[in-house]
Amino acid sequence: MRKQPPPLRKPPEVAGRLLDAQLHLLDRQLLDVDGVPVTTIDDLELSGPEHDEPIPEGAEAPRITALLTGPVLGTRIFGGRPPSNRLIRIPWSDVAEVGTVLRLGVKGESLDALWVERWLRDRVIGRIPGGSHDPE
Amino acid sequence: MKRLLGVALGILTAIGGFVDIGDLVTNAVVGSRFGVSLVWVVAVGVVGICLFANMSGRVAAVSGRATFEVIRERLGPRAGLANLAASFLINLMTVTAEIGGIALALQLASGVSYMLWIPMAMLAVWLVIWRVKFSIMENVTGLLGLSLVVFAVALFLLKPDWGALAGQAFAPSVPGSEGPAVYWYYAIALFGAAMTPYEVFFFSSGAVEEGWRVKDLIQSRLNVLLGFPLGGFLSVAIAACSAVVLLPAGISVTTLSQVALPVAQAGGQLALAVLILGVVAATFGAALETTLSSGYTLAQFFGWSWGKFRRPARAARFHMAMIVCLLAGVTVLSTGVDPILVTEYSVVFSAIALPLTYLPILIVANDPQYMGEHVNGRVVNILGLLYLVIILTASLAAIPLMVVTGAGA
Repeated sequence: MRKQPPPLRKPPEVAGRLLDAQLHLLDRQLLDVDGVPVTTIDDLELSGPEHDEPIPEGAEAPRITALLTGPVLGTRIFGGRPPSNRLIRIPWSDVAEVGTVLRLGVKGESLDALWVERWLRDRVIGRIPGGSHDPE
Repeated sequence: MKRLLGVALGILTAIGGFVDIGDLVTNAVVGSRFGVSLVWVVAVGVVGICLFANMSGRVAAVSGRATFEVIRERLGPRAGLANLAASFLINLMTVTAEIGGIALALQLASGVSYMLWIPMAMLAVWLVIWRVKFSIMENVTGLLGLSLVVFAVALFLLKPDWGALAGQAFAPSVPGSEGPAVYWYYAIALFGAAMTPYEVFFFSSGAVEEGWRVKDLIQSRLNVLLGFPLGGFLSVAIAACSAVVLLPAGISVTTLSQVALPVAQAGGQLALAVLILGVVAATFGAALETTLSSGYTLAQFFGWSWGKFRRPARAARFHMAMIVCLLAGVTVLSTGVDPILVTEYSVVFSAIALPLTYLPILIVANDPQYMGEHVNGRVVNILGLLYLVIILTASLAAIPLMVVTGAGA
């Protein structure tokens, strides 16, 4: 007669909300503290050992350190990795709320992620007459 | 009273805004070759666009998310990018066709070559996008577009044999002069013209622009469920007019003046003037919608700041993208390519790209995280799935039929 295996221990209670990075974070819209769109979340930066490196015994679980945008979208679609100095990072500590969109607790104005927007605004769109007035 | 007026205005705008250059040309071409034997396709298309426009409007009103954000979020970056590329190219083709349509209508009115009207049409479209408030833009073009009712009036004035028309419409068969492959090719073109994806991009983004909430849903549903079918009725009138006048005369439609011919014959110069006003308003309105849709799709995929409710400087990439699109459209037209031909291809390509747009809407409309208690009901889901099957079939059959028939020649 086969011995009954001992019953499995219940998994530990998860504190807080369970998020699936793929489902709840990636490709979601990111808004700044005033509700202005910043970018779509193109990728995530995790702490911990690099890809392909062996994971040492008892290593700490990886944490999300930053949201990524910029050229990383291209490499996510077509493969490869951009050099780390080409990554546009938005530190996870700036994130204030995770829902159907992610909200930052800071203004977008200071973020690297919006440099193209600022450049176009200051060099092109803002210079066309009427560009900085409300539509009538 | 004010609320009632709002509802009436919304419905009228939806009717006037339904017809664009794609519907005008495709319906006239089909009418002149197949009579009214393809009217059933318009009916199928109108039910489909009602279903999915309503769904995307509900997603936007409840969750605040416009359609292309949802597409990227659900399909992921790869399939999302494929959809973006396809939708954007078709949109660009449609922008080109609509601007060409404005210019052709102005040529009909003035006798001045349409090539000279193109830059002015583009400038006018851009100025409205740059400066005019969303609601004013929508209402003015929609109401003026209502003058296309002249097609229905003309049909009455032509005193057709109603019994024969009804017989053709309700017991459709392939006319003897045409092969079945061509018949089905034009069925797909009509379906694509009625269900063009830009309509849901525009509709859902418009819901965000106008700040719809759950309480506005009843009004939006009325707009769609009354406005679009009545718009579809205009499409049918266009087809019937050319079926009555052009088909017996053996004229196949290749220019806008041929589309106008039955109206001119029935109602003379006055009717023609009303028709031209209607065509200019309808194509102008659609040029605005498609140009905005190009901006919406790009901005929503990449997460840029977008919307006409913001000052242009607060949505710089969005406005830059639209300027580039308009310039690209005009560059294509300046090569002398026939805008009517661009239109005919754009509706078929629309049919090909339909599934990638409508599937994610159906998925998200069932996601309680987005929709809460406003998820799809069972009837809507059954209809939605049924339409996905139709859309997929049309999409897969489009290219083979295009090759076999030599694009409907």
